[in-house]
Amino acid sequence: MIGRVAVPVVAVVTLALPAVLDDSALAVYILLGLAAMVTVGVSLLMGYAGQVSLGQGAFYGIGAYTAALLTLGGVPPLAGLVAAPVVAAASALVVGTPLLRLRGHHLAFATLAMQLILLSVAGQLEFTGGDIGLQGIPQFGVGSWEAGGAAAYAYLTWAGLALVMLVTRNVITSRPGRALRALATSETAAASSGIPVGRYKLVVFALSAAFAGLAGGIYCYYTGYVAPGSFPVLISIQYIVMAVVGGLGTIWGAVVGATAITLLVQGLDGLATLPGMPSYAPTVLSYAVYALVLIGMVLFMPRGLVPALSRRRKSLSERV
Amino acid sequence: MLTVTGVSRSFGGVYAVRDVSLSVADGEVCGVIGPNGAGKSTLFNLITGHLAADRGEISFLGRRVDRLAPHRRARLGMSIVFQAARVFRGMTVRENVMVGMHGRTNAGFVSAALRLPRHRRDEREIAAEAERALGRVGLSEWADRPADRLPIGQQRALQLARALCARPRLLLLDEPASGLRGEERERLAALVEELRAGGLTILLIEHDVAFVTRLADRVVVLDLGQVIADGPPAEVRADPLVLAAYLGQAS
Ligand SMILES: Nc1ncnc2c1ncn2[C@@H]1O[C@H](COP(=O)(O)OP(=O)(O)OP(=O)(O)O)[C@@H](O)[C@H]1O
Ligand SMILES: [Mg+2]
Repeated sequence: MIGRVAVPVVAVVTLALPAVLDDSALAVYILLGLAAMVTVGVSLLMGYAGQVSLGQGAFYGIGAYTAALLTLGGVPPLAGLVAAPVVAAASALVVGTPLLRLRGHHLAFATLAMQLILLSVAGQLEFTGGDIGLQGIPQFGVGSWEAGGAAAYAYLTWAGLALVMLVTRNVITSRPGRALRALATSETAAASSGIPVGRYKLVVFALSAAFAGLAGGIYCYYTGYVAPGSFPVLISIQYIVMAVVGGLGTIWGAVVGATAITLLVQGLDGLATLPGMPSYAPTVLSYAVYALVLIGMVLFMPRGLVPALSRRRKSLSERV
Repeated sequence: MLTVTGVSRSFGGVYAVRDVSLSVADGEVCGVIGPNGAGKSTLFNLITGHLAADRGEISFLGRRVDRLAPHRRARLGMSIVFQAARVFRGMTVRENVMVGMHGRTNAGFVSAALRLPRHRRDEREIAAEAERALGRVGLSEWADRPADRLPIGQQRALQLARALCARPRLLLLDEPASGLRGEERERLAALVEELRAGGLTILLIEHDVAFVTRLADRVVVLDLGQVIADGPPAEVRADPLVLAAYLGQAS
């Protein structure tokens, strides 16, 4: 029901915005779309399949580095962009095999540790450019066409987001999706219905990593450089906050949550970079805001914005 | 159909199931009774693979299954209705029942994401089978409600529908009548009778001895993890060992 109203509205706004926004606003718009893409994966993983990951930023980074390294090595950007989600998903399959035996906060800490390890490895290795990272990544392009400005990346980002949302919706409303939702409640009962629980958890982890990897791939072409500092742990926490704010287990919630948090953080960044503020103010403020927003949501709107709003609308229409 | 030979399982050095052997013939309804903590649910978990046996063999349909994962045993044709309700939250009653078809269909992530013909074919089949199972347990009217808000009796029926959706060869029911009121209990008994008439093999744990006597061809009595009697209901009820086990519990 939300979908029927929201899809056309969002589609029109999405298509119109790149034409009217200036470059700095477009940067926010693109980063928002990329964050939403990762957050859809988080919502699928946490909200539907009941598995926690505090390391989605790692897959975002893996996607970005994959595309950057390939393209710098002379591979066409399109192939680099396709490889980004594939390599991220493959990495998830490898690390997920031991990690997904863990549950709840054990799994959360393990995925967090995975990202920390990956960041320090990327900071040490020569071929990833160490702490400085990789620079001079060519523009994205297909054949002779090259993405000229920010507007092209905005379209690319939002097309990617639409694809990710469509795949998620299709998966959720089908046999494998029901299996994921079932194992979120009871792995035992799911297994007795013939669901290979371990394999399904691995696949959904890989799918969410692929979404993050795709976003990372677009990111590297847009910014032209990647470095370990682009993928801090804070970014993984941010995706969780976005998913929770929008409403876990709703696809639109991921987009709404990403939008709400991005705009909020933008506003605060303006505040934190005012003259006289210390240099660490933006980071500290973001952490504080994430914490406050999370606590506020858990207390007042535990199911998130989208479920709360659609329920209010439903009860209103029932009253009339 | 099912042969359990010398199966044991202990928790922290205490046997929950000790050297249990039993076999269930095709089409038989076999009752399992025993005092609280006798090891009945543990035995079911060993048969379905949710617990690993320390010792012993389990064969199902002529094939060793004791090393198989639970979902593999389910796919061979075992369905269990657990003692505690395990209803999938955040899903409707219908969706819950549809999950029961998982083992009999195979459209995966790719077919679903791309909406391939296989996905559509499976969805049609799953929906039809779920509808049938819902009707069978009398849940059709509740089909589109959130499953976690059903009263306990309906949750039990829901699990039964999910189990039936898998078209099992062997159905394991762990105290299906507990918490049910008179008419619900009667309805359940009628359904079990109907399933038996249809040739389904059933293992039935139940405290209510009258309920078991009415439905079971044979009764196995467990006490302290061991089989203390095995035979027709009337014979078992008169067995001095059985009487002692129940009296011991009552005192
Ligand atoms: N996972 C477990 N860990 C430790 N002990 C267990 C476990 N499962 C069962 N037990 C113990 O094994 C024994 C048998 O338990 P079980 O649940 O099989 O009994 P039951 O016959 O089903 O009883 P009830 O009629 O109360 O359902 C009990 O003493 C129980 O405490
Ligand atoms: Mg029990």
